[in-house]
Amino acid sequence: MEKKTWKGLLLLVAFIVIVLSAGSLLVGHSETFAGFLYGAGGVALFMLLAKMMTLIQREGKQDD
Amino acid sequence: MIDIGGIPSVPPAFIYLIGAALLLLFGQGKARKIYLIALAVLGLAAVAVLTPQTSWVFPVLQGLELTFLEVDNFSLIMGYIFAIIGAAAIIYSLDIVKENGELICGLLYLGSAMGAVFAGDFFTLYIFWEIMAFSSLGLIWYNRTERATNAGMRYILFHLFGGCALLGGIIIHYMNTGSIAVGPVETGIGYFLLLISIGVNTAFIALHTWLPDSYPKATLVGAVFMCVFTTKTGVYVLARTYSGVEAVAYMGGLMCLYGVAFALLQNDVRKLLSYHIVSQVGYMVAAIGVGTYIGINGGFAHIFNHILYKALLFMCMGAVIYSTGRHNLTELGGLAKKMPVTMITCMIAAFSISGVPGFNGYVSKGMVIHAVELEGMHLLTIVLMLGSVGTFLSFLKLTYFTFFKKNDVIQAKEAPLPMLIAMSAVAFLCVAIGVYPKMLYAILPYPAVASHYHAYGLAHTIGTLELLMMTAVGFVVLLAVFSPHERITYDLDTLYRKAGRGFIWLCEQPLVTVTDGMDKGLRKVADYIVWFSRNPATASKILAAKAMVAMAGSAVMRTLNPGYIQYEQDLAKLKQMHVDEPVQRVAIGTGVLLALLLFILYLVIYLTHGVVWI
Repeated sequence: MEKKTWKGLLLLVAFIVIVLSAGSLLVGHSETFAGFLYGAGGVALFMLLAKMMTLIQREGKQDD
Repeated sequence: MIDIGGIPSVPPAFIYLIGAALLLLFGQGKARKIYLIALAVLGLAAVAVLTPQTSWVFPVLQGLELTFLEVDNFSLIMGYIFAIIGAAAIIYSLDIVKENGELICGLLYLGSAMGAVFAGDFFTLYIFWEIMAFSSLGLIWYNRTERATNAGMRYILFHLFGGCALLGGIIIHYMNTGSIAVGPVETGIGYFLLLISIGVNTAFIALHTWLPDSYPKATLVGAVFMCVFTTKTGVYVLARTYSGVEAVAYMGGLMCLYGVAFALLQNDVRKLLSYHIVSQVGYMVAAIGVGTYIGINGGFAHIFNHILYKALLFMCMGAVIYSTGRHNLTELGGLAKKMPVTMITCMIAAFSISGVPGFNGYVSKGMVIHAVELEGMHLLTIVLMLGSVGTFLSFLKLTYFTFFKKNDVIQAKEAPLPMLIAMSAVAFLCVAIGVYPKMLYAILPYPAVASHYHAYGLAHTIGTLELLMMTAVGFVVLLAVFSPHERITYDLDTLYRKAGRGFIWLCEQPLVTVTDGMDKGLRKVADYIVWFSRNPATASKILAAKAMVAMAGSAVMRTLNPGYIQYEQDLAKLKQMHVDEPVQRVAIGTGVLLALLLFILYLVIYLTHGVVWI
């Protein structure tokens, strides 16, 4: 299987897990799967931060 | 008089400080290696025999005593971990450090850090605090590059500022309370000065820039020493003085997120690790800020564990740089098979810092978050949990791009044996504490409270695994976003450097112009006084005539007084006359009489109207 297909499948599984975890938290009021939500939220946050922080970066050797 | 509480208890600081002084006697060969190993063992033994309530007190002045050794549960755990990691760093250095000077700096640094944590009073703490700053500077400068020299200058400027704040805070605290014992500080200027000085060493945000600036530029062994002592001594003093301050707890949260966000952007492996020190120290600061028994326990447990895995990470990256000569993630990769021991130990350290169950970081990070949660600080809890996600992302990035990414051109071989021994020993401790946390609980400040904490509660363990699994998936899916780039990331130090340049410009341009102007003006005044004092009588006539002309105007005077033309001619002659010639003098008695008259006048006014001039 190609790398892209693997990534697509992984993304799909992650999406399903997030939806189920959110459902469990909001409907069932169970925090059993809240770890998935924290993980997904954290990744999204750091992805956003990484994108935003490119504004305070410039090309060049990372010396000083 | 020396009050020795326990005969075998010698301040461990002295062992390392004297050891550093004697190092020169052993040259650079095998004898030095044996001596260093013996010193490491002696240091460990000196800490191992310490028992709580032991003290070494030196009276220096009436009512002032310096306490060089004050042993309690707080200082003891710091002593244990400093001695352990000091021994590991010494073994790590055996084959790769050529210059004795670098080792002397390392030993002085270790000894002074040990002295700082066992100090029973603020003045002793200050002495060791400053020795720490200068000895660690040597570890940066021994890299002998221009970048290291410049970074060292910035480093020492920051620490001198912190040292001045500490001394100011101590003096104010002493003047207010009469006590120099290390303990809580009353609010006021001293409170803030001490907090700033501790904030510099603990790398509070805005005071943190020296850390990621200098650590990556230190020598390979220097970085291992440096990642341990300065920040952790800061956290220790913070626990002694500011535990339970809510603002401190939130500063910890900010440090946690800020450090990890910047770490994710780094390409230089040691810079990435340096930003992670800021982030991980954030957990400790948050726990100290909570200030409950479980919070303090969590903070100290995290200090202990963090020192182990962070030193291990710096050792592993030191080994990578030593073997490859490369320090950027974009240049690394493919080292898993070439450096298997380094890879395994680095993975252990990465799992530890990321809080993977079974490793030591999981135990202490869980304790910190639990303490924050118990205090109902929900926002801080979420921040610390999100920090875990960022940490795991960073270390997936570090390990993947260093060891597993394909790189066919890289040349490397496994690090020398002493480095591997040190790394393996520390990695073993990371796993041992993770698997059996009770041996850590036993040495925490409040062991009875710690024994009630269950690190491997089902919900906590499953929740952590979920979080980590989702993070790993996110990393794989978003690999392009988190992959390293050859970019410079601006931090707050950019502003400080700009402000510094602006200050230098202000000094060199406008201030110099003003100084020149003032200098010229003062010289004119001085010349004038000299001219006047040569012949006051003639000079007074010239001045009086000038003043009259200036007030009335020569044209008016000519109209009103026809004889004025003659007067003007006389004045012109008078002006040309040198004030020295002819000198008109009065008898000295006239001068004395005038002085007496003025004095009598002053007395009369004084007696009739009270004080005239104070």
